[in-house]
Amino acid sequence: MQAQVTRWLKDGKIDIFIGYKNFDGHIIPHCFTSDKLDEIKDLQSGQEHYALEKVATKIAAGYPDLTIGLLLARKCNQQALNVLYVWNQLDPERIEILDDSNNTTESDAKVEELPFKEEKGLSKTLLPADLEEHSQAELFPRWMYEFSKCIKCYGCRNICPVCFCKECSLEHKELIGPGMLPPEVPIFHLVRATHMAGRCIDCGLCEEACPADIPLRLLYRKVGEIVSDLFAYETGDSLEQSPFSVLGDKVVLEPKPINE
Amino acid sequence: MFCKFVPSVCPYCGTGCGVLLEVVEGKLIGTLPLKSHPVNEGKLCIKGWNMHEHVNSFLRLKQPLIKMFGRFVKTEWNEAIDYTAERFKEIIEEHGPDSVGVLVSAKTTNEENYLGQKFARAVIGTNNVDHCARL
Repeated sequence: MQAQVTRWLKDGKIDIFIGYKNFDGHIIPHCFTSDKLDEIKDLQSGQEHYALEKVATKIAAGYPDLTIGLLLARKCNQQALNVLYVWNQLDPERIEILDDSNNTTESDAKVEELPFKEEKGLSKTLLPADLEEHSQAELFPRWMYEFSKCIKCYGCRNICPVCFCKECSLEHKELIGPGMLPPEVPIFHLVRATHMAGRCIDCGLCEEACPADIPLRLLYRKVGEIVSDLFAYETGDSLEQSPFSVLGDKVVLEPKPINE
Repeated sequence: MFCKFVPSVCPYCGTGCGVLLEVVEGKLIGTLPLKSHPVNEGKLCIKGWNMHEHVNSFLRLKQPLIKMFGRFVKTEWNEAIDYTAERFKEIIEEHGPDSVGVLVSAKTTNEENYLGQKFARAVIGTNNVDHCARL
Protein backbone atom coordinates (compact mmCIF):
# COMPACT_ATOMS: atom_id res chain seq x y z
CA MET A 1 0.00 0.00 0.00
CA GLN A 2 2.70 2.50 1.06
CA ALA A 3 4.90 1.60 -1.92
CA GLN A 4 2.11 2.16 -4.39
CA VAL A 5 1.17 5.55 -2.98
CA THR A 6 4.83 6.62 -2.99
CA ARG A 7 5.09 5.55 -6.63
CA TRP A 8 1.92 7.40 -7.60
CA LEU A 9 3.05 10.59 -5.85
CA LYS A 10 6.56 10.41 -7.32
CA ASP A 11 5.29 9.78 -10.84
CA GLY A 12 2.88 12.65 -10.57
CA LYS A 13 -0.04 10.37 -11.23
CA ILE A 14 -1.75 11.94 -8.24
CA ASP A 15 -1.19 15.30 -6.53
CA ILE A 16 -2.46 14.34 -3.10
CA PHE A 17 -3.49 11.13 -1.43
CA ILE A 18 -6.12 10.99 1.28
CA GLY A 19 -5.69 8.02 3.59
CA TYR A 20 -5.55 7.35 7.29
CA LYS A 21 -2.86 7.65 9.90
CA ASN A 22 -2.63 6.99 13.60
CA PHE A 23 -2.59 10.13 15.69
CA ASP A 24 -2.20 9.41 19.42
CA GLY A 25 -4.33 6.30 19.10
CA HIS A 26 -6.99 7.95 16.95
CA ILE A 27 -7.14 6.77 13.36
CA ILE A 28 -7.80 10.00 11.50
CA PRO A 29 -7.78 10.96 7.82
CA HIS A 30 -4.52 12.40 6.58
CA CYS A 31 -3.48 14.07 3.38
CA PHE A 32 -0.23 12.73 1.91
CA THR A 33 1.69 14.82 -0.63
CA SER A 34 4.88 14.44 -2.63
CA ASP A 35 6.56 17.16 -0.51
CA LYS A 36 6.44 14.93 2.53
CA LEU A 37 7.12 11.45 1.22
CA ASP A 38 8.53 10.29 4.56
CA GLU A 39 5.04 10.56 6.06
CA ILE A 40 3.82 7.69 3.88
CA LYS A 41 5.20 5.11 6.29
CA ASP A 42 2.39 6.17 8.65
CA LEU A 43 -0.29 5.40 6.07
CA GLN A 44 -2.67 2.75 7.25
CA SER A 45 -6.08 1.40 6.50
CA GLY A 46 -8.92 2.84 8.49
CA GLN A 47 -11.16 0.89 10.75
CA GLU A 48 -12.90 4.06 11.77
CA HIS A 49 -14.97 5.25 8.95
CA TYR A 50 -14.76 8.76 7.59
CA ALA A 51 -16.28 9.87 4.31
CA LEU A 52 -13.02 10.52 2.45
CA GLU A 53 -14.96 10.96 -0.78
CA LYS A 54 -16.81 13.89 0.80
CA VAL A 55 -13.47 15.46 1.71
CA ALA A 56 -12.42 14.93 -1.92
CA THR A 57 -15.52 16.76 -3.21
CA LYS A 58 -14.71 19.72 -0.96
CA ILE A 59 -11.14 19.84 -2.25
CA ALA A 60 -12.22 19.29 -5.87
CA ALA A 61 -14.69 22.19 -5.58
CA GLY A 62 -11.83 24.55 -4.76
CA TYR A 63 -9.10 22.94 -6.86
CA PRO A 64 -10.71 21.22 -9.87
CA ASP A 65 -7.37 20.50 -11.60
CA LEU A 66 -6.02 18.40 -8.79
CA THR A 67 -5.82 14.62 -9.13
CA ILE A 68 -6.78 13.10 -5.83
CA GLY A 69 -5.84 9.64 -4.63
CA LEU A 70 -8.30 8.05 -2.24
CA LEU A 71 -8.02 5.13 0.10
CA LEU A 72 -11.01 2.89 -0.34
CA ALA A 73 -11.50 1.27 3.01
CA ARG A 74 -15.01 -0.06 2.51
CA LYS A 75 -17.23 -1.11 -0.35
CA CYS A 76 -19.62 1.77 0.23
CA ASN A 77 -16.81 4.27 -0.47
CA GLN A 78 -16.82 3.08 -4.08
CA GLN A 79 -20.60 3.29 -4.28
CA ALA A 80 -20.54 6.80 -2.85
CA LEU A 81 -17.94 7.74 -5.47
CA ASN A 82 -20.18 6.33 -8.21
CA VAL A 83 -23.07 8.47 -7.02
CA LEU A 84 -20.81 11.54 -6.93
CA TYR A 85 -19.56 10.79 -10.48
CA VAL A 86 -23.10 10.35 -11.74
CA TRP A 87 -24.13 13.71 -10.29
CA ASN A 88 -21.01 15.47 -11.62
CA GLN A 89 -19.61 16.27 -8.19
CA LEU A 90 -16.33 14.55 -8.95
CA ASP A 91 -14.56 13.84 -12.20
CA PRO A 92 -13.65 10.13 -12.43
CA GLU A 93 -10.52 11.13 -14.40
CA ARG A 94 -9.29 13.16 -11.46
CA ILE A 95 -9.78 10.43 -8.86
CA GLU A 96 -7.44 7.51 -8.35
CA ILE A 97 -8.51 4.86 -5.91
CA LEU A 98 -6.48 2.47 -3.85
CA ASP A 99 -8.73 -0.43 -2.97
CA ASP A 100 -8.11 -1.69 0.53
CA SER A 101 -11.62 -2.96 1.20
CA ASN A 102 -10.47 -6.58 1.24
CA ASN A 103 -8.13 -5.98 4.14
CA THR A 104 -10.52 -4.21 6.42
CA THR A 105 -12.85 -6.27 8.52
CA GLU A 106 -16.30 -6.07 7.08
CA SER A 107 -19.11 -8.54 6.93
CA ASP A 108 -20.75 -9.19 3.56
CA ALA A 109 -24.13 -7.88 4.59
CA LYS A 110 -22.80 -4.28 4.75
CA VAL A 111 -23.86 -4.22 8.38
CA GLU A 112 -21.06 -4.04 10.83
CA GLU A 113 -20.72 -3.44 14.51
CA LEU A 114 -18.21 -0.92 15.73
CA PRO A 115 -16.36 -2.58 18.58
CA PHE A 116 -15.67 0.56 20.59
CA LYS A 117 -19.24 1.81 20.58
CA GLU A 118 -21.98 0.99 22.96
CA GLU A 119 -25.16 -0.13 21.30
CA LYS A 120 -27.95 2.35 21.89
CA GLY A 121 -31.39 2.69 20.33
CA LEU A 122 -32.67 0.06 17.93
CA SER A 123 -30.39 -2.59 16.55
CA LYS A 124 -28.21 -1.25 13.74
CA THR A 125 -28.70 -4.45 11.80
CA LEU A 126 -32.48 -4.17 11.50
CA LEU A 127 -33.86 -4.57 7.96
CA PRO A 128 -37.22 -3.29 6.68
CA ALA A 129 -38.36 -6.92 6.33
CA ASP A 130 -37.91 -7.40 10.09
CA LEU A 131 -40.71 -4.92 10.72
CA GLU A 132 -43.34 -6.91 8.82
CA GLU A 133 -44.44 -8.78 11.90
CA HIS A 134 -45.56 -5.49 13.44
CA SER A 135 -48.82 -3.81 12.50
CA GLN A 136 -49.14 -0.26 11.16
CA ALA A 137 -50.79 0.74 14.42
CA GLU A 138 -47.62 -0.26 16.24
CA LEU A 139 -45.13 1.10 13.75
CA PHE A 140 -46.56 4.57 13.19
CA PRO A 141 -46.34 5.81 16.78
CA ARG A 142 -42.90 4.24 17.10
CA TRP A 143 -41.60 6.13 14.08
CA MET A 144 -43.15 9.35 15.37
CA TYR A 145 -41.45 8.75 18.71
CA GLU A 146 -38.11 8.13 17.02
CA PHE A 147 -38.42 11.32 14.94
CA SER A 148 -39.41 13.38 17.97
CA LYS A 149 -36.03 12.61 19.56
CA CYS A 150 -34.31 14.72 16.90
CA ILE A 151 -32.19 17.62 18.21
CA LYS A 152 -31.86 19.10 14.72
CA CYS A 153 -28.08 18.95 14.63
CA TYR A 154 -28.09 18.32 10.86
CA GLY A 155 -25.42 15.72 11.55
CA CYS A 156 -27.08 13.19 9.23
CA ARG A 157 -26.88 15.65 6.37
CA ASN A 158 -23.46 17.03 7.21
CA ILE A 159 -21.79 13.66 7.38
CA CYS A 160 -23.60 12.16 4.38
CA PRO A 161 -21.12 11.52 1.54
CA VAL A 162 -23.82 11.97 -1.09
CA CYS A 163 -25.38 15.18 0.32
CA PHE A 164 -23.90 17.93 -1.80
CA CYS A 165 -26.74 20.27 -2.80
CA LYS A 166 -25.91 23.95 -2.70
CA GLU A 167 -29.27 24.72 -1.14
CA CYS A 168 -30.61 22.19 1.28
CA SER A 169 -34.36 21.65 1.57
CA LEU A 170 -33.91 21.03 5.28
CA GLU A 171 -32.92 24.68 5.69
CA HIS A 172 -35.71 25.98 3.48
CA LYS A 173 -38.05 27.85 5.77
CA GLU A 174 -41.08 27.41 3.51
CA LEU A 175 -40.67 23.63 3.57
CA ILE A 176 -39.64 23.17 7.16
CA GLY A 177 -40.58 25.79 9.71
CA PRO A 178 -37.59 27.23 11.56
CA GLY A 179 -37.18 27.75 15.29
CA MET A 180 -38.71 24.53 16.54
CA LEU A 181 -37.22 21.67 18.46
CA PRO A 182 -37.78 18.87 17.61
CA PRO A 183 -38.09 20.01 14.00
CA GLU A 184 -41.47 19.49 12.35
CA VAL A 185 -42.22 15.81 12.87
CA PRO A 186 -42.27 13.89 10.60
CA ILE A 187 -41.71 16.35 7.68
CA PHE A 188 -38.05 17.03 8.48
CA HIS A 189 -37.11 13.36 8.39
CA LEU A 190 -39.37 12.41 5.52
CA VAL A 191 -38.04 15.24 3.34
CA ARG A 192 -34.57 13.92 3.93
CA ALA A 193 -35.73 10.35 3.35
CA THR A 194 -37.27 11.17 -0.03
CA HIS A 195 -34.14 13.05 -1.04
CA MET A 196 -32.13 9.96 -0.20
CA ALA A 197 -34.04 7.97 -2.86
CA GLY A 198 -31.57 7.10 -5.58
CA ARG A 199 -28.72 8.63 -3.59
CA CYS A 200 -28.34 6.73 -0.33
CA ILE A 201 -25.76 3.98 -0.61
CA ASP A 202 -26.48 2.62 2.86
CA CYS A 203 -23.12 3.45 4.37
CA GLY A 204 -24.61 3.98 7.82
CA LEU A 205 -22.70 7.19 8.61
CA CYS A 206 -25.90 9.13 9.36
CA GLU A 207 -27.02 6.73 12.04
CA GLU A 208 -23.53 6.64 13.53
CA ALA A 209 -23.53 10.44 13.73
CA CYS A 210 -27.05 10.77 15.15
CA PRO A 211 -26.84 11.92 18.79
CA ALA A 212 -30.47 10.81 19.33
CA ASP A 213 -29.99 7.32 17.86
CA ILE A 214 -32.83 7.62 15.39
CA PRO A 215 -32.87 4.48 13.19
CA LEU A 216 -32.13 6.50 10.04
CA ARG A 217 -30.43 3.66 8.28
CA LEU A 218 -33.55 1.53 8.55
CA LEU A 219 -35.63 4.37 7.11
CA TYR A 220 -33.29 4.95 4.17
CA ARG A 221 -33.00 1.24 3.56
CA LYS A 222 -36.75 1.14 3.10
CA VAL A 223 -36.49 4.04 0.65
CA GLY A 224 -33.71 2.27 -1.20
CA GLU A 225 -35.78 -0.89 -1.35
CA ILE A 226 -38.66 0.99 -3.00
CA VAL A 227 -36.28 2.57 -5.53
CA SER A 228 -34.83 -0.80 -6.35
CA ASP A 229 -38.20 -2.63 -6.57
CA LEU A 230 -40.17 -0.05 -8.51
CA PHE A 231 -37.51 1.50 -10.71
CA ALA A 232 -34.89 -1.25 -10.86
CA TYR A 233 -32.30 1.36 -9.98
CA GLU A 234 -29.42 0.08 -7.88
CA THR A 235 -28.00 3.16 -6.15
CA GLY A 236 -24.23 3.26 -6.23
CA ASP A 237 -23.95 0.52 -8.83
CA SER A 238 -25.95 2.00 -11.72
CA LEU A 239 -23.85 4.35 -13.80
CA GLU A 240 -26.60 6.74 -14.81
CA GLN A 241 -28.59 9.30 -12.86
CA SER A 242 -31.50 7.99 -10.85
CA PRO A 243 -35.06 8.17 -12.29
CA PHE A 244 -35.64 11.05 -9.87
CA SER A 245 -33.64 13.51 -11.93
CA VAL A 246 -36.89 15.34 -12.56
CA LEU A 247 -35.22 18.29 -14.21
CA GLY A 248 -34.02 16.15 -17.11
CA ASP A 249 -30.83 14.29 -17.83
CA LYS A 250 -28.64 17.33 -17.99
CA VAL A 251 -29.15 18.38 -14.42
CA VAL A 252 -25.89 19.43 -12.84
CA LEU A 253 -26.18 20.08 -9.17
CA GLU A 254 -23.77 22.80 -8.30
CA PRO A 255 -21.37 21.99 -5.52
CA LYS A 256 -21.23 24.21 -2.51
CA PRO A 257 -18.58 26.93 -2.71
CA ILE A 258 -15.53 25.91 -0.71
CA ASN A 259 -15.31 29.14 1.30
CA GLU A 260 -18.77 29.25 2.61
CA MET B 1 -2.15 22.77 -2.13
CA PHE B 2 -2.16 21.15 1.27
CA CYS B 3 -4.92 19.95 3.47
CA LYS B 4 -4.79 18.55 6.94
CA PHE B 5 -7.03 17.19 9.65
CA VAL B 6 -6.52 18.49 13.15
CA PRO B 7 -8.04 16.62 16.10
CA SER B 8 -9.28 18.98 18.78
CA VAL B 9 -11.88 19.45 21.48
CA CYS B 10 -15.07 21.39 20.92
CA PRO B 11 -14.87 24.74 22.76
CA TYR B 12 -18.59 25.35 23.08
CA CYS B 13 -19.49 23.66 26.35
CA GLY B 14 -17.94 21.68 29.17
CA THR B 15 -18.74 18.26 27.68
CA GLY B 16 -15.53 18.14 25.67
CA CYS B 17 -16.56 16.38 22.46
CA GLY B 18 -13.78 15.37 20.12
CA VAL B 19 -13.76 17.14 16.77
CA LEU B 20 -11.66 16.91 13.66
CA LEU B 21 -11.00 20.21 11.93
CA GLU B 22 -10.59 20.18 8.16
CA VAL B 23 -7.99 22.69 7.00
CA VAL B 24 -7.41 23.42 3.31
CA GLU B 25 -4.58 25.81 2.39
CA GLY B 26 -4.38 27.07 5.95
CA LYS B 27 -8.06 27.91 6.06
CA LEU B 28 -10.53 26.15 8.32
CA ILE B 29 -13.30 24.83 6.09
CA GLY B 30 -15.15 22.24 8.12
CA THR B 31 -15.66 20.30 11.31
CA LEU B 32 -16.20 16.56 11.63
CA PRO B 33 -16.90 14.53 14.75
CA LEU B 34 -13.92 12.50 15.91
CA LYS B 35 -15.17 8.93 15.52
CA SER B 36 -12.88 7.33 18.03
CA HIS B 37 -13.37 9.90 20.78
CA PRO B 38 -14.70 8.28 23.97
CA VAL B 39 -16.85 11.27 24.94
CA ASN B 40 -19.00 11.80 21.87
CA GLU B 41 -18.42 8.53 19.97
CA GLY B 42 -18.61 10.20 16.57
CA LYS B 43 -21.59 12.42 17.29
CA LEU B 44 -21.90 16.19 17.61
CA CYS B 45 -24.61 18.76 18.27
CA ILE B 46 -25.36 21.61 15.91
CA LYS B 47 -22.92 23.95 17.63
CA GLY B 48 -20.05 21.52 17.29
CA TRP B 49 -20.84 20.83 13.65
CA ASN B 50 -20.59 24.54 12.86
CA MET B 51 -17.72 25.57 15.12
CA HIS B 52 -15.46 26.41 12.16
CA GLU B 53 -17.83 29.22 11.21
CA HIS B 54 -17.07 31.53 14.11
CA VAL B 55 -13.34 31.29 13.44
CA ASN B 56 -13.80 32.80 9.99
CA SER B 57 -16.67 35.09 10.94
CA PHE B 58 -16.29 38.78 10.09
CA LEU B 59 -18.01 39.57 13.38
CA ARG B 60 -15.20 37.98 15.36
CA LEU B 61 -13.51 40.28 17.86
CA LYS B 62 -9.79 40.52 17.22
CA GLN B 63 -9.05 43.54 19.39
CA PRO B 64 -10.08 44.57 22.92
CA LEU B 65 -12.80 47.19 23.24
CA ILE B 66 -13.16 49.88 25.92
CA LYS B 67 -16.53 51.43 26.60
CA MET B 68 -16.17 55.19 26.52
CA PHE B 69 -19.09 57.62 26.57
CA GLY B 70 -21.51 54.74 26.06
CA ARG B 71 -19.75 53.34 23.01
CA PHE B 72 -17.22 50.58 22.48
CA VAL B 73 -13.94 51.85 21.09
CA LYS B 74 -11.23 49.60 19.68
CA THR B 75 -7.96 49.73 21.53
CA GLU B 76 -4.64 47.92 22.02
CA TRP B 77 -4.07 45.14 24.55
CA ASN B 78 -1.57 47.03 26.74
CA GLU B 79 -3.84 50.02 26.95
CA ALA B 80 -6.86 47.86 27.79
CA ILE B 81 -4.98 45.99 30.52
CA ASP B 82 -3.64 49.21 32.06
CA TYR B 83 -7.08 50.75 32.03
CA THR B 84 -8.69 47.66 33.62
CA ALA B 85 -6.02 47.43 36.33
CA GLU B 86 -6.44 51.10 37.10
CA ARG B 87 -10.22 50.80 37.44
CA PHE B 88 -9.96 47.64 39.57
CA LYS B 89 -7.63 49.45 41.98
CA GLU B 90 -10.01 52.37 42.28
CA ILE B 91 -13.02 50.14 42.86
CA ILE B 92 -11.26 47.93 45.44
CA GLU B 93 -9.99 50.98 47.32
CA GLU B 94 -13.39 52.56 47.44
CA HIS B 95 -15.71 49.55 47.98
CA GLY B 96 -13.43 46.69 49.13
CA PRO B 97 -12.36 43.53 47.29
CA ASP B 98 -15.76 41.84 47.65
CA SER B 99 -17.21 44.39 45.27
CA VAL B 100 -15.49 42.48 42.46
CA GLY B 101 -16.54 39.07 41.12
CA VAL B 102 -14.79 36.83 38.64
CA LEU B 103 -16.70 34.67 36.19
CA VAL B 104 -14.75 31.84 34.63
CA SER B 105 -16.00 29.58 31.87
CA ALA B 106 -16.64 25.99 30.85
CA LYS B 107 -15.36 26.92 27.43
CA THR B 108 -11.80 27.55 28.52
CA THR B 109 -9.29 25.02 29.78
CA ASN B 110 -8.94 23.77 33.32
CA GLU B 111 -5.66 25.65 33.67
CA GLU B 112 -7.19 28.93 32.60
CA ASN B 113 -9.99 28.43 35.09
CA TYR B 114 -7.40 27.78 37.79
CA LEU B 115 -5.68 31.03 36.88
CA GLY B 116 -9.04 32.77 37.01
CA GLN B 117 -9.71 31.73 40.60
CA LYS B 118 -6.08 32.47 41.55
CA PHE B 119 -6.51 35.96 40.16
CA ALA B 120 -9.72 36.43 42.16
CA ARG B 121 -8.33 35.11 45.46
CA ALA B 122 -4.68 36.17 45.40
CA VAL B 123 -4.76 39.40 43.39
CA ILE B 124 -8.17 40.86 44.05
CA GLY B 125 -8.74 39.18 47.41
CA THR B 126 -12.29 37.91 47.06
CA ASN B 127 -14.01 34.54 47.05
CA ASN B 128 -16.51 35.73 44.45
CA VAL B 129 -15.66 33.18 41.76
CA ASP B 130 -18.32 31.53 39.68
CA HIS B 131 -18.70 29.45 36.58
CA CYS B 132 -21.27 29.21 33.81
CA ALA B 133 -21.57 25.44 34.18
CA ARG B 134 -22.61 25.67 37.84
CA LEU B 135 -26.28 25.75 36.98
